[in-house]
Amino acid sequence: MSVANHVDHAPVVSESKGQAERDRLRMMMLIRRFEERTYQEYTKPGQKIGGFCHLYSGQEAVAVGIASIFQKGKDYLINAYRCHGHSLALGMDPRAAMAELFGKATGCSKGKGGSMHFFQAEVGNLGGHGIVGGHIPLGLGTAFAQMYKKTGGVTFCLFGDGAINQGTFNEALNMASLYKVPAIFIVENNGVAMGTQVARASAEPELAKRASGYHMPYRAIDGNDIDTVIAEMNEAAQRGRRGEGPTFLVANTYRFRGHSMSDAMKYRSKEEMEQAKLRDPISLYEIRLREKGLLTDEQADAMEEEVAEVVADAVRQADVDPHPMLEDRFNDVLAEQYPLQK
Amino acid sequence: MTEEMERDENVFLMGEEVAEYNGAYKVSEGMLDRFGPKRVIDTPISEAGFAGLGIGAATVGLRPIIEFMSWSFTLVCLDQIVNNAANIRYMSGGQFKVPITFRGGNGIAHQLGATHSHRVETIYTRIPGLTVVTPSTPYEAKGLLKTSIRSDDPVIFLENEKMLNDAGDVPEEDYTIPIGVANIERPGNDITIISYGRPLQRVVRHAVQALVNDHGIDVELIDVRTLRPLDKNTLIESVKKTNRCVIVDEDYGYCGMGAGILHQIQKPCFDYLDAPIEYVHSDEIPVPFNHFLEEAMMPSVDRIVAAARDVCYR
Ligand SMILES: Cc1ncc(C[n+]2csc(CCOP(=O)(O)OP(=O)(O)O)c2C)c(N)n1
Ligand SMILES: [Mg+2]
Repeated sequence: MSVANHVDHAPVVSESKGQAERDRLRMMMLIRRFEERTYQEYTKPGQKIGGFCHLYSGQEAVAVGIASIFQKGKDYLINAYRCHGHSLALGMDPRAAMAELFGKATGCSKGKGGSMHFFQAEVGNLGGHGIVGGHIPLGLGTAFAQMYKKTGGVTFCLFGDGAINQGTFNEALNMASLYKVPAIFIVENNGVAMGTQVARASAEPELAKRASGYHMPYRAIDGNDIDTVIAEMNEAAQRGRRGEGPTFLVANTYRFRGHSMSDAMKYRSKEEMEQAKLRDPISLYEIRLREKGLLTDEQADAMEEEVAEVVADAVRQADVDPHPMLEDRFNDVLAEQYPLQK
Repeated sequence: MTEEMERDENVFLMGEEVAEYNGAYKVSEGMLDRFGPKRVIDTPISEAGFAGLGIGAATVGLRPIIEFMSWSFTLVCLDQIVNNAANIRYMSGGQFKVPITFRGGNGIAHQLGATHSHRVETIYTRIPGLTVVTPSTPYEAKGLLKTSIRSDDPVIFLENEKMLNDAGDVPEEDYTIPIGVANIERPGNDITIISYGRPLQRVVRHAVQALVNDHGIDVELIDVRTLRPLDKNTLIESVKKTNRCVIVDEDYGYCGMGAGILHQIQKPCFDYLDAPIEYVHSDEIPVPFNHFLEEAMMPSVDRIVAAARDVCYR
């Protein structure tokens, strides 16, 4: 046992103990920093980032929780357009992510996808998708393929509380349960779809119950508590891997920023925002790690500094990286080469 | 919309964020306050649901205005529009009419990427039973929208996000612009240029200026205004007069809107043409996110000027 520290009452932390936890905290910090820096880059004069841009700040525990149990090369993750956080959590190089926002050739989608369409095939990141609800059947399909090929992998299919109201939700969940595919359907319930609160869009305010007609387990979980997320995702993934079929989880969380960059957020009160900040998933986890003696002030500060530098580097690099060549626009349309004209 | 809702209490507005948020693009600003939640109605993100709701309500006497945040999103409710709105009158032997206006932003805005930049005109224009209207100025937007709302048939009303802030002379009073009539925006004798909607505003008018001022080509510019039914006569008479024609849109060329228009005029004008009709359109690729690639894929002033000079052999 180590010697007690008499100066303050902080528990003493050993070097390697808690490394996994600190890595998770660091990743949440990295995502937050990435998003906040993206906000600055988007809004400053001479705007370098264009198009729709949806920030993930406030919801980090969901993506990082999933990433903690995600088996790279075996599992799949498919997501809506609010996809920067998940991509970083699955290990995307922040340079490739920032370069995509800048539309550069070095971006994760070669500047052709943009903020809503981060993809990274080699880790099983099947993308950000822009049509609300459009990708839910795709998650059904990737899980179907995993079952078909007996890979033992599962698909994490994420979407917003607004997407539940698309017809694809009904069709995909019904079939997923019917075929017993290894999918985990996860609603990141941040309380609003653009400016529409859940209660104004869903006749059943308890979103988890919306899956009650599909004969699959469903549950609402605290999406701001990363340990809860990990435990619940793990259980659902185990079920999937055992061939017992899909699970529906509603991760309750909050987004700190507007829906996209042009949103003045008039539909939210100051009090609501302040309340939400008290349940910031990063602070919650930081406090827990300190209490468990897995994190010191110095470590936390060093992590903050380190992620700030990583993001600053990504911005510097994205800035100088080349745009795609104009002729590149004709590439990647088809996999086959036919004797086609342009 | 406000004037039409005051005029006819069967008119109502429904769509995502149209009420409490005052419109995703602020088009319906103030309308909730004015008309209340009975007539300005927010929906869940359920395009098939509320498009179908509108069609059903229209068949039994209401006159819905259904707003789509983007026409790109109507690909999830194509069935409602193409199967139901367009066919119910015909299938019932004329027993029902479907007086509904679907409106929203169409086409390429700026860096919205492949899924949010669809130009849906050919998807709907080729469907008998639908009327497709596409204004290119604020004046046209008001006049054509009023006619659309008063129409007893389903109207596809194509706006563009990048035209919502355009300023222009719009009379205060109640006026309508007829559906199915093209507008000769600038009379001329050397060549007919045909276009509509966003491309007119973005590049075609600039190209016409350049052709007239810098190249001495006396362009007759026609704004089609209605894609279905197409005012063939105005187009044909113009081309018979100028003997030359360029069509410009932002659609894909193959099976594109301009290809359909071209087919309508080339035979009646064949003996009058001094050159093949040119068609300037977008590249055959999904819309890229990168600003420069996106620009490059669309018709530019230079491409239009070059095509017109080609057709005029100068
Ligand atoms: C089919 C379709 N309709 C509308 C939109 C416009 N839109 C984009 S995001 C959004 C809100 C979605 O909210 P939610 O599913 O809760 O996800 P969140 O943004 O909160 O993460 C809307 C209406 C769209 N992209 N696709
Ligand atoms: Mg939401």
